[in-house]
Amino acid sequence: MSRATPDSSRTGNSMPDTQAGRSDPAILIDDLHKTFAIQHRQAGTLKRAVLNVFRRPSREYKEVLHGLNVRIEHGESVALIGRNGSGKSTLLSLIARVYKATRGSIHVNGRIAPLLELGAGFHPDLTGEENLELYGSILGLTIPQLRAKYDSIVSFAFDTPDMAEKIDTPLRNYSDGMKMRLGFSIAVHTDPDILIVDEVLAVGDEAFQQKCYKKIEEFQHAGKTIVFVSHDMHIVRQVATRVLWLHSGTIRMDGPVEEVVDAYLKAAEHPDFQEENAGV
Amino acid sequence: MRNELAELWRFRGLLLQLVRRDLKVRYKNSRVGILWSLAPPLVQVLCISFAMRNAISLAQDFPSYILFVLVAQIPWVYFQTAVLDSSQSILLMMGVIRKVYLPREIIPLANAISNFFHFLITWLVFLVFWFGLRGGRILFPEILWFPYLIVVQFCLVTGLSLFASALNVFYEDVKYIITVVMNFAFFLLPIIYVVEMPYYKGARMFQGVGMSLYMLNPMASLITGFRKSLLEPPLPRAIGGDSFPLDTANLLTAGLISLLVLVGGYAYFNSRKWQFVERP
Repeated sequence: MSRATPDSSRTGNSMPDTQAGRSDPAILIDDLHKTFAIQHRQAGTLKRAVLNVFRRPSREYKEVLHGLNVRIEHGESVALIGRNGSGKSTLLSLIARVYKATRGSIHVNGRIAPLLELGAGFHPDLTGEENLELYGSILGLTIPQLRAKYDSIVSFAFDTPDMAEKIDTPLRNYSDGMKMRLGFSIAVHTDPDILIVDEVLAVGDEAFQQKCYKKIEEFQHAGKTIVFVSHDMHIVRQVATRVLWLHSGTIRMDGPVEEVVDAYLKAAEHPDFQEENAGV
Repeated sequence: MRNELAELWRFRGLLLQLVRRDLKVRYKNSRVGILWSLAPPLVQVLCISFAMRNAISLAQDFPSYILFVLVAQIPWVYFQTAVLDSSQSILLMMGVIRKVYLPREIIPLANAISNFFHFLITWLVFLVFWFGLRGGRILFPEILWFPYLIVVQFCLVTGLSLFASALNVFYEDVKYIITVVMNFAFFLLPIIYVVEMPYYKGARMFQGVGMSLYMLNPMASLITGFRKSLLEPPLPRAIGGDSFPLDTANLLTAGLISLLVLVGGYAYFNSRKWQFVERP
């Protein structure tokens, strides 16, 4: 990965190679299509596959994103809104490289921190510290980098001493809230350029949520890019600088926060929308 | 495949972490940790030895029969555990790869590598018995084949692990099929006997072309190779005739087949890996 920015020495690793300069967007989405195969039964067995070898596989395909074009600049905070099943999470997963595009392309310039699920990959038998190293390396940090950030990760996650004491006990002794705190803390300490968030900010207690929002504000001030999904228009208004409204796999509206949110809320009041929404 | 390998190299830190996690979890939860994990193959070998000597009197004239079984049991247990573990590995990490990008092959590879590490450690058990029963007499130049056999077996096991892990995502009965096949293989492979025994007894499967076909199975060649590289040949009285010399051509063929299995397994894995998260 080569970047013209001064901090290009960082060893980003989850991105495809791109020639990027300052003028390049953080995320460039070009004619993005995504199709999923749908099978109307449980996962197959080899037995059935062998028995059905002469039969044509009965697969249905469903396109969930129909050719999106989006350009997100560095420093933007983009909220994805839309009803259930409109393709918001699919789009986030595609940006995070969990899915591969069926057609079209996504170019990402910078290190991504995917906060799609906090603490994915935590192992209950390992201690908090060991899990920190494991999850940190899943997110692309090296062990020396993690050691250097160890103290600030732990102190951000656990603000009381009796919580911090637990760091060398197995994770199965942690409450769900504590796991989330640790996960969030590791993810934001990976020094990302782009934060991908899927409604995981409802983390922990009130105090910790405040801390999360403060961290997000810090990211915004530092000129980082944020893409997040939310159904909470209050959060959207508070955090976003731009809103993308997705509707059945296409972009219904893209623009300034108030404008799009108002249009969306107005549409949501409409009885047709309610019905469609309930049907999903 | 070149790009895939480059990507794998970039994530080598994570691979190391996952291997460490596997080993930590394996050796944890018990005070004697690593020692405890060495016990099962040893107990099995002692049982087999007892049964064969006293119940079937097959191994009556076999001096240090335990060693002959142990030297086969060690590669066998590695083969069996690694392939079975890996077949589950992707499904166990599904929660992670649905949320975070990482090269998928890291998961079965970490599994294969941590099992390989354990395989190397189990040779220590052999060393103890070897010195105890045979004074650890080294055969030259046969011993030179030992490192070669270790590497070949790693290729074979890793290739099959990649194959099994990918297949089990789509066909969930694969792990049961593997378990059944392993049960057969235990008796089909020369573990509780040496290949000369059925040959001199006149078993039709082991005469002429039959023997060549039998030895095409890389595991049969490897186990026989391990024996002949480490242990002095048993007396004709014990096995019904003269012991065969170490068959170089055979071991080279096994190496070639194992390499093909590795490349084939990796290619198959790569062709399916983006479909894992979209499994219907």
